[in-house]
Amino acid sequence: MSGLTVDREACIGCGRCVRACANAGIELVWEGPRKFAQATDACVFCGSCVDACPFDAISINKDGGSGGVDVSTFHDIWVFAQVTADGCVLPVACELVGRARELADVRGCHVVAVLGEGAGTAGSDNAERLIACGADEVIRCRDARLERLDTEVYARWICGMARDRRPEVILYGATAFGRELAPAVAVRLQTGLTADCTVLELDSATGLLQQTRPAFGGNLMATIVCPDHRPQMASVRPGVFAAPAGDPTRAGTVTDVALDAGIVPRVRVLAVEPAGAAATIADAACLVVIGRGIGDKKQVPLMRELAAKLGAELGCTRPLVEAGWLEYPHQVGQTGASVAPRVLLSLGVSGAIQHLAGIGGAQTIIAVNEDPDAPIFGVAHYKVVADCVDFARALLAT
Amino acid sequence: MVDIIPMDRELQSYLRDESRSSGTADSISFPRDEGEIVAVLRHLRAVGGDAPAAVTVQGARTGLAAGAVPAGGHVMNLSRMNRYLGLRIDDDGTYCLRVQPGVVLSELRRHLKNKTLPSQGWAPEDHAALERMYAGPERFFPTDPTETSACLGGMAACNASGARSFRYGPMRAHVRGLRVVLADGDTVSLRRGEVRAQGRRLRLTTESGRTYDLALPTYYIPHAKNASGYFIDDDMDAIDLFIGSDGTLGVISELELTLSEVPAVTWGVSCFFSTETDACAATVAIRAGIADVVAIEYFDAGALDILRHQRTAGTAFSTLPMLDDAWSCSVYVELACDCRDHALADLAHLGELLVAHGGSLDDTWVARTDADRETLRFFRHAVPESVNMLIDERRRTDPAITKLGSDMSVPDDRLLDVMDLYRTTLAEAGLQSAAWGHIGDNHLHVNVLPRSMEEYAAGKRLFARWAVEVVRMGGAVSAEHGVGKLKRDFLTTMYGEAHIREMAALKRQLDPYCQLGQGNLFDVRLAKEGDRA
Amino acid sequence: MNIVVCVKAVPSTTEVKMDPKTNTIVRDGRASVVNPFDATALEIALQIKDERTVAGFPTTVIVLSMGIPATQELLRDCIARGADRALLLTDRAFAGADTLATTYALACGLRELGTVDLVLCGKMAVDGDTAQIGPELAGSLEASCITDVRSLVRIDDASVAAWHATDEGTELIETDLPAVLTVSKDVAQLRMPSIAGVFSAERATCETCSAAEVATDPSRIGLAGSPTQVVRSFVPERAASAQVIEGTMDEQAARVAALIEEAVR
Repeated sequence: MSGLTVDREACIGCGRCVRACANAGIELVWEGPRKFAQATDACVFCGSCVDACPFDAISINKDGGSGGVDVSTFHDIWVFAQVTADGCVLPVACELVGRARELADVRGCHVVAVLGEGAGTAGSDNAERLIACGADEVIRCRDARLERLDTEVYARWICGMARDRRPEVILYGATAFGRELAPAVAVRLQTGLTADCTVLELDSATGLLQQTRPAFGGNLMATIVCPDHRPQMASVRPGVFAAPAGDPTRAGTVTDVALDAGIVPRVRVLAVEPAGAAATIADAACLVVIGRGIGDKKQVPLMRELAAKLGAELGCTRPLVEAGWLEYPHQVGQTGASVAPRVLLSLGVSGAIQHLAGIGGAQTIIAVNEDPDAPIFGVAHYKVVADCVDFARALLAT
Repeated sequence: MVDIIPMDRELQSYLRDESRSSGTADSISFPRDEGEIVAVLRHLRAVGGDAPAAVTVQGARTGLAAGAVPAGGHVMNLSRMNRYLGLRIDDDGTYCLRVQPGVVLSELRRHLKNKTLPSQGWAPEDHAALERMYAGPERFFPTDPTETSACLGGMAACNASGARSFRYGPMRAHVRGLRVVLADGDTVSLRRGEVRAQGRRLRLTTESGRTYDLALPTYYIPHAKNASGYFIDDDMDAIDLFIGSDGTLGVISELELTLSEVPAVTWGVSCFFSTETDACAATVAIRAGIADVVAIEYFDAGALDILRHQRTAGTAFSTLPMLDDAWSCSVYVELACDCRDHALADLAHLGELLVAHGGSLDDTWVARTDADRETLRFFRHAVPESVNMLIDERRRTDPAITKLGSDMSVPDDRLLDVMDLYRTTLAEAGLQSAAWGHIGDNHLHVNVLPRSMEEYAAGKRLFARWAVEVVRMGGAVSAEHGVGKLKRDFLTTMYGEAHIREMAALKRQLDPYCQLGQGNLFDVRLAKEGDRA
Repeated sequence: MNIVVCVKAVPSTTEVKMDPKTNTIVRDGRASVVNPFDATALEIALQIKDERTVAGFPTTVIVLSMGIPATQELLRDCIARGADRALLLTDRAFAGADTLATTYALACGLRELGTVDLVLCGKMAVDGDTAQIGPELAGSLEASCITDVRSLVRIDDASVAAWHATDEGTELIETDLPAVLTVSKDVAQLRMPSIAGVFSAERATCETCSAAEVATDPSRIGLAGSPTQVVRSFVPERAASAQVIEGTMDEQAARVAALIEEAVR
């Protein structure tokens, strides 16, 4: 039976596991004179208690463990290289090829980029760029059916190749399309997928990919593995890994493949509307970001006024968007915009890691918060411990 | 000694309040405790000779009647008197919390909800009472003005109320004790039930041992929600004279508030109707028929139309659920009771009453969860907000235009009459309006939305006419916001000049130089001359 | 037409507070709510039902969830808002499911519900952020998927057309039914329950199924059926190197104003 087991020899009933659990999934029970930890029905097997236990008394067991595959027959790291409507490979693909190169060097395997292009793209140098970034091989298919990013077409194409060539790892950029394609591939290959990883490590001996991503609203990081299924798949947000400089002299092979004639798009495109060119918080030079610490929706006009005075755009954290205080285009963070202003004034933001993930590009961060222990101060360059509304008024008055 | 600071440009904001009117002053002080209030008043008396400076007391300046706008002289701002002083359990088991007047309502609520009342320096028995309260059911302070940044002293000074005053009454009922500093610096300690008038004579003894033998005015206050002028009644409690006195009789330096138990189940229901007649009839039936109702609020067709318009024009209200075009007006009913089964029974009963009065079971929004309650709260607040947005648009063409808001109430049996009065006269005058508010207490805020200065003047004339009619119906010219400086004329309409002079005479007994709250309730000349004129 | 809306119970606040001293999670009595994205999906389904009902086409909206027994209350609330039926897959054996095992369980639940023309899901769950269930469900049903729908343009018995967000803007696409649609949260606001709805929910039963009743392959559900597993969770380390700006509020404000000016210049 799968589940969480407590070694009653080792457990001393200290309760550290209970405190570590975010789900009320473990409790202490008395049995005779001694207390033991015991899982409740609310346990989701997240593993927080396993790590919290200093006595190694808790373990999560899984039976039927194997996914029915011989993991040793899988090799190489694939990177899906998404192409824009203009036919250029996305920067995130280069970033992932760069990281894959480092991992492949540890593992001693190849990096293979998977590139789909429309028909009549003979002049494109996408494959060469991917090789320059670190790919050993580019599997390229030029076909009219790949011109539009059709999830089903791409998924069936990649799945067909993956079944033949058995990659150990496939990485995707966590773009809108990447986040649609990766699960479509995962379910067809019946393998695991970890979204929005911020750290990827590969075990040189076993080839096990350690995929770390924020969990529980970003206050915890979780490291996830996929031990018995292959390929191991992960998506990564643009900007998480640095783009490699690129070496145009690197050698690599380009393998052109054909798309199976049986793959026919089922989705018909009726109209396309490109994104507007309105000023966005993503390219503001000065940004005021507000969080729940402002206390009340009524303070939003004050913050707008402050932003206007500073010549800044106004951003906010996710709870404010959820509460309807500001609209989604203002949201900064992992599920909103990633920003890179020259200066960012953060007011009443506690600093959940998913928010912090979106402000890493800021050159100077000035944070104002009532709570001197707020996590935002961990990434700030300047720290003001104050009521952010009072402070905003004082700053307006300068 | 607390500083008496000369007024300068930096301090301009203390010359205004939420009524958007502005006054003048020479100096300001920010006392931190009762001793400092006494010191300031004594100092002003000492340096002022036989014409000591006027003193306007301020709290959070959230009032809508300009009560905190200074009329020259000195501004005494109590916002720094925001400490929590202690807690005791009264003989009847009520938890009584002592606070300074500058404590802000939203802060008090937050501390009660999170069980984080600042209790440093409290006596051991107060700590014990606090422990007991935290161990029991959650408590709250029931007075719920829309503006939660109001402070408790200001709320007592104007006898504030809110939506739930339908069940809980206004602030008055929840004040068990007051400490008041009189104009000469002497202090009075009042606890409900301890000092009562004999008929219309009230003997008040100060802590220095001085005794005032006060002649109370002879008028009768209306049987309607009321915040107009001094509360007067035969054999009244002395504490009630100071609650609602608009800062004209003394400076409240400490309050003892009674806390109530949070009901186990609170459900909100917005009911939509196609006609105002149906909505009013349903209101009358609901308030008579369902005991667990804590609030009944109304939003008329003008208000909902403006909200519909602003919802599509911008994104501010896009998270509101869609309003069906067939819905003309809305009655919000809040039910509070001890268990879910009772709430369901109330809801079924409410449904029957709606169906009997032109409503339907489908045209309702029922909020049973925090998220849904928040949605309905947002809806209720979005109505005035959307009207303010409309007025702001109009001010771009004519900055002199402002919204005119009424605050009148009538007794229960005159609800349909007063609605008829509003509708007939607004139609005659051809003015745009939006009305909302506390229909359960027959107390609507009817807002005239002028498109020009001519319409603004016409609206003002209409309000004066309403005041006459409302008084004739046995109602009050100000049910909630207080009289302050803006509604003095209405107060004269309500009580007549002779009774106003009685009020002024009463004030002069406690405040012979008429320093406190100058211009509130009555003109300063009248206050000084009193019944001699 | 049968429309199934997949909903997930999530904590009402997604931010878990950490005790900075003990580095452990501070738990409070967090109530569960329907994932806000799924709430929007339900509203879209109810709008389709409203329009089709007016036009004389019978339409049924069914909410489907996998979760603990208490989730029944949330599903009942969906009925109060206008859903016709609710099915909850609940069993200890489902616990610990990753997205693949969840997809399998939901697919089994869909099979239990008979003919399904349209599946609506929230784009993602606020507590997991993976946004994988919709596309995985489409893949396992061999149905087309339209993710991140911004507005539904047309739906009939054979096909659906909708604007959806792409990396470069929005796109109006059409596909045949059955199909899976995922919706973004700000597309619509879930309606409130009416008094009539509250009482129909009181009378309704939330159907439940155990793993044995729906899952044909028990090795594909719950922890055992999940390829991924969490091996470690930890509190992220944060460097504390910020320079503290001291002084009165006005002095602090003046210093910050200067810093901003300097940085922008």
